Amino acid sequence: MSGPVLVVVERRGRDPVRSSLEAIGAARNLAGGTGLVAVLLGSDLEPAARIVASLGASKVITVPDRRFDTFHAALWAGAVVSMAQELLVSTIVVAGTTNGRQLTGRLAARWGAAAVSGVTEIASTPEGVLVALRPIFSGRAIQEVRLEGPRRVVGLRPNAFPEPDASGPVGTVEEHPVPELGSTPALGQRIAFEGAAAGAGPDLAEATVIVSGGRGLKAPENFRLLEELAASLGGAVGASRAVTDSGWKPTSYQIGQTGRTVSPQLYIAVGISGAIQHLVGMISSRTIVAINSDPNAPIFKVADYGVVGDLFQIVPALTAEIRKVRGI
Amino acid sequence: MEILVLVKPVPDPETRLRPNAAGTGLDTEGVKWVLAGYDESAVEQALLLKEAIAGSHVRAVAFGPAPRTEEILRSALALGCDAATWAEASGEQALDPLLAAQALAQACSTGPVELVLVGKQALDDEAGLVGPAVAERLGIADYGPVVDLRWDVSAGQFTFARAIEGGLERMTAPAPMLVCLQQAWNDPRTAKLQNVLKARRTAIDRAPALSAPSAPEAAASSARISGFRLPPPRTGAKMIEYKTPQEAAEKLVRLLRDEAKTLP
Repeated sequence: MSGPVLVVVERRGRDPVRSSLEAIGAARNLAGGTGLVAVLLGSDLEPAARIVASLGASKVITVPDRRFDTFHAALWAGAVVSMAQELLVSTIVVAGTTNGRQLTGRLAARWGAAAVSGVTEIASTPEGVLVALRPIFSGRAIQEVRLEGPRRVVGLRPNAFPEPDASGPVGTVEEHPVPELGSTPALGQRIAFEGAAAGAGPDLAEATVIVSGGRGLKAPENFRLLEELAASLGGAVGASRAVTDSGWKPTSYQIGQTGRTVSPQLYIAVGISGAIQHLVGMISSRTIVAINSDPNAPIFKVADYGVVGDLFQIVPALTAEIRKVRGI
Repeated sequence: MEILVLVKPVPDPETRLRPNAAGTGLDTEGVKWVLAGYDESAVEQALLLKEAIAGSHVRAVAFGPAPRTEEILRSALALGCDAATWAEASGEQALDPLLAAQALAQACSTGPVELVLVGKQALDDEAGLVGPAVAERLGIADYGPVVDLRWDVSAGQFTFARAIEGGLERMTAPAPMLVCLQQAWNDPRTAKLQNVLKARRTAIDRAPALSAPSAPEAAASSARISGFRLPPPRTGAKMIEYKTPQEAAEKLVRLLRDEAKTLP
């Protein structure tokens, strides 16, 4: 691989998002001696830039402009491709956030690059070919894609790469004027943000632990048990389609074929029978635990650990045990 | 309003997956191809907008090989789309999302482009590259993953929300734009038999053949699918034996901490 590797870093508030740090980690391995450049777009970039510089980026470029504070794929792609051309970059790595997924295809088309998305493993051959693995068919198959050619865009899957540590030299931080954006289409505007309640824990897409509930919870107020379990693990709460269809939880909680696809380190399915509709949304989780009163529930076929029993007794006991072990 | 909806034939979600002889892709022998997942939501969203906006017209556009691509366009027609455009490709070409985007953008730009709808990703390859790449080629803005898309007649603009980490980002945007849909706000409808029969007789427009690739497209085609395999089968859960809920909890926590090593 000839040119440096560029990582697009996203922030929430003033901090880089965790998926972007994972992208730095993945890109560090790919860059080798060719250099790793991180790009930040928006206003008040300095604090995040300092963090990224300490994690292995040889150079952090900040492009301060308020126009980038709202994510517009067209605008971001224009800026990133301009930077990539100026720096003679070989590969752009994009985090698996919702913005990142929107950016990957647009960047590839604009830059005339080969692209792959949803990557869980990636390595470079001695000849400089990138070989990426990505789960497809909801984790029921694994695809291998080889990226040759001078320009490559690699989109990652969240939770697939470790965050880098702060050993190694600290990179430089440079401010860069807004690059030539080329023609920009008519853009919309953000009018409001309806955030989840404060203290609601991490978002499903980023959570390393997800506790998910199904019809077995019997009533919406019983989700309190799952919220306590999730809180003891620093995790998020999800739901099956039966639950969101009944209006117990908003559709944003739904995990499955018509909802969100998640891949946390630990997925705890509580009172979920395991219809294929649900399984396809969580099957690529690292470890799956099922708690269900029906020993024949299909969820036990895909789970790593199973507990047959009354969730109203098991879940509180589990929450208490985790609090004890974690000292909280 | 002219509404374009991009669709792709995918294997029925119940398909038993088998690698082909070369180990590079799905063995498509006997596979049933369907309109499904986010694409089905995209068609539903197109039809809801058509019903809400007087004088609008929905055209389904697809890229792929015969006969499956033609068949799913007929499924879209049977659901209520007014017209369909087919950009024919080989089975191998259909696997390349950026080539698909090039062909779909070309097929879209034969008429006026005001709103393009697409599922945020296909159920099979889950790439999510096509929508944003089509928008780039058409030179229009793209938004995703979008829910609750509406047309505000008085303001002459779209309102919608992006389902992003931590909440919903409410936005307004003018036409033209491309939207990658998270899922339909309502359950997708099913086709009525009389419409299925009518769709069989509807003419499907053919998109002009792809122009020869320019240099950037040749670079893009340097992504090559080199492997397709099934993950090791899950052998079924290790079931926890216990006498009291406390014992179950203790055993489970120990396994998560010491064996799975996924307890935070």
